[in-house]
Amino acid sequence: MSNERPKRPTRATPAKEALPARKPAAVKPAKTTANAAKGAASKKAPAPSAPVKAAPVRAAAGSTPSSKKVTANGRPSPAPAARSVPDTGAPASASRTSTPKRPGARRGAAPSASPPPTPEAAPYVAATTPAVAPADVVAAPVIDVEEAAPSLRPPGILIDADDAETFADDVPQFAAELAADGGFEVAPARLERPALPDVAIEQDVYANDYYARQWGRAGLRGRSDHVDEFGLDPSVDVRSRAGFEALFRRYFRAEVSGIEHVPASGRALLVANHSGTFPWDGVMLKTAIRLEHPARRELRWLTEDFVYHFPFLGTFLSRIGAVRANPENAERLLDRDALVAVFPEGIQGMGKLYRQRYQLQRFGRGGYVKLALRSGAPLIPTAIVGAEETNPLLFKVGWLSKFTGLPYLPVTATFPWLGPLGLVPLPARWKVVFGPPIDLSEHGPEGADDAILVNRLNERVRATIQTLVDDAVAARGSALFG
Amino acid sequence: MRAERRGVVRAPARKRVVAVSGASSFLGRNLVGLLESDESTEKIVVVDVQSPRTAGRKTSFYQLDLTQPTVDARLAEILGAEGVDAFVHLAFLSSPSQAGAWAHELESVGTMHVLNACRERRIAKFVLRSHTALYGAHASNPNFLTEGHAVRGLPRTPFLADKIDAEKETRKYAQSVPESCVTILRFAPILGPTASNFLTRWLSRRVVPTVLGFDPLLQFVHEMDALAALTLAIAHDVPGTFNIVGEGVLPVSTVVKLAGRTPLPLPWSALQQLTALGWAAHAAEVPPSFLAYLRFLCVADGARAAAELGFFPAYSTREAVLDFGGALRLRDARLLHDAP
Repeated sequence: MSNERPKRPTRATPAKEALPARKPAAVKPAKTTANAAKGAASKKAPAPSAPVKAAPVRAAAGSTPSSKKVTANGRPSPAPAARSVPDTGAPASASRTSTPKRPGARRGAAPSASPPPTPEAAPYVAATTPAVAPADVVAAPVIDVEEAAPSLRPPGILIDADDAETFADDVPQFAAELAADGGFEVAPARLERPALPDVAIEQDVYANDYYARQWGRAGLRGRSDHVDEFGLDPSVDVRSRAGFEALFRRYFRAEVSGIEHVPASGRALLVANHSGTFPWDGVMLKTAIRLEHPARRELRWLTEDFVYHFPFLGTFLSRIGAVRANPENAERLLDRDALVAVFPEGIQGMGKLYRQRYQLQRFGRGGYVKLALRSGAPLIPTAIVGAEETNPLLFKVGWLSKFTGLPYLPVTATFPWLGPLGLVPLPARWKVVFGPPIDLSEHGPEGADDAILVNRLNERVRATIQTLVDDAVAARGSALFG
Repeated sequence: MRAERRGVVRAPARKRVVAVSGASSFLGRNLVGLLESDESTEKIVVVDVQSPRTAGRKTSFYQLDLTQPTVDARLAEILGAEGVDAFVHLAFLSSPSQAGAWAHELESVGTMHVLNACRERRIAKFVLRSHTALYGAHASNPNFLTEGHAVRGLPRTPFLADKIDAEKETRKYAQSVPESCVTILRFAPILGPTASNFLTRWLSRRVVPTVLGFDPLLQFVHEMDALAALTLAIAHDVPGTFNIVGEGVLPVSTVVKLAGRTPLPLPWSALQQLTALGWAAHAAEVPPSFLAYLRFLCVADGARAAAELGFFPAYSTREAVLDFGGALRLRDARLLHDAP
């Protein structure tokens, strides 16, 4: 400790006398020779180390024995005053603040790491030598700043010796500034990078895997490299969101009512009617809840097998939140307190002919009721009106199914005739109505094994949704206009 | 359950003598290396056609070919003479073989021989290496297959059928020797810097063929986790079947891209015919039936292994792929020669 800062004997002298006696806390930063370089450069570096050290020393040697904290214009960022000090006016700087100018000060920190003073370091010598000799002259302004106008003091100017360690976070910034000031006596040649020869770039471009790599990079750019356990890819979801929202609001001019029946948290099972030849209603239900629900909950909906395994479509739907309809999948989702939508009509519902479009089909075997009973999730009857008119189904051609992998080939007003253009939905007006939740918890989980109860509840829910659909159709008026 | 399982450090009454078949396989080789430094293992009895490189002081090697008809008597002799407490059966192929008959002799019949020998010596502890791939990739699979699901395999895939046979035999053994503790570990496809199987070879191609329009979720387990699960099963007496899987899933296309490869999506029928041609010409790693894994889900649920076996994977699926991809890049740069 006694020989800290070996390069600056003039300054070190008061330190030797004052430090042990007055401020034990200040002893800590003062390093032994071995540690001086490290301590100065890294630990106390954020507060430019030399001023931090020098200032307490000077203050102690001068006339502020009582001040617990020691002024040091240490922090790089909040001390603009110190920065503006001219390089050569050391006495002037002393009169303004206690701190010598930063470049000089920092170089004071560095020397132990880099012994020979380079030509670059010359200003330091010029700047600091006048300030060194009268230690108390330097110390006096410290008191002025602290006592006379504490409010003028930029925040962070006070650095207790112990606090110096807390500034370790600023090390990178300090190091950067240090480098900018040329504080480290690093040979400039080492900082300059030789320009890459053009040959290397050319070789890179001509490398036989260069384009494969670029292709691979482009492929990963549009996706996140992790999906959730059911295959939802957040980046695909976010990208497709705007399109679906425009479709929902502008094209389908959808109205949502009864959104308050959807709980803001916790598991719930939405039971909805299914229609429309193409699976628009799942996506639109998801969009409706994201747009209208105050909690903006994410909806996971269950899709039929043939949709889930349909090339491209199934993959895309699973990336935006669809899950294959399966009791185990639904149970797993509800166990995680998700909001799950089911379409119990299934394929029967999707394949409703236009003339029976508002009549609900059989609700499967009531698997969703068992699910709700087992998981204790409330059932929320939901009516989606408008999907029926998006692709009005005129006929179903069954005999082509084995070639297409579909349960039937749909014949709509537009579909096979206009080719892929026929898949574009008609601008029907949609209405999404959420009914009051049906709580099945009174029957308990064991109710799931009671076939009669399940069937009865199934019929009850189906009747509720049929009523909701009928009311929504009546309220909507014209299917296309208005 | 978990705390109980993890907290209890079982100090065996005496040190175990562990027999390992298929010790030259990837898992076997590394397991022998781990057991060599394991305090509670007194001796390792290796029965295989060749001695693993990792064999050390504790290991005694017996050259034994499980495809030979009289191997069970010889194996029973060895088990009796060495006083074996636990048998770890790892003699399975990691990739589909063109030599189907030989593979059947080794895996299905060989397991029968091994179990007969164990039955004769009343070996109490038996650990079988199995695959989650045995569930098969089917359109009707749920997103997460639990141990209770039937192992359906795939049609016309002897690689899976032989292993399903081996599992069945092992379950029968568990019933016929009531005091036994039989653990079946169904590993997800093992991926890692040094593992080598049909999956790693498929991912090592510059251009990786995938199925156009399909992007099912894949799941892997890192090689370190696989070994950890194996040592857990040996150290603790936990009977049952367990899925040993890494956390999380990744779509096929993302896996290929994370491995630094270029996916080449081909129509299903074209890919099938190409693969059939390639398999016939010994150019493809797998027969065409394996393409189902690129079309449908075959993802297992590892909750039971966590709860009962106390197995928690250190690497997620994504990390396993990244680790594998890193090694692949090194290999590309010829810094790492063909890893065995």
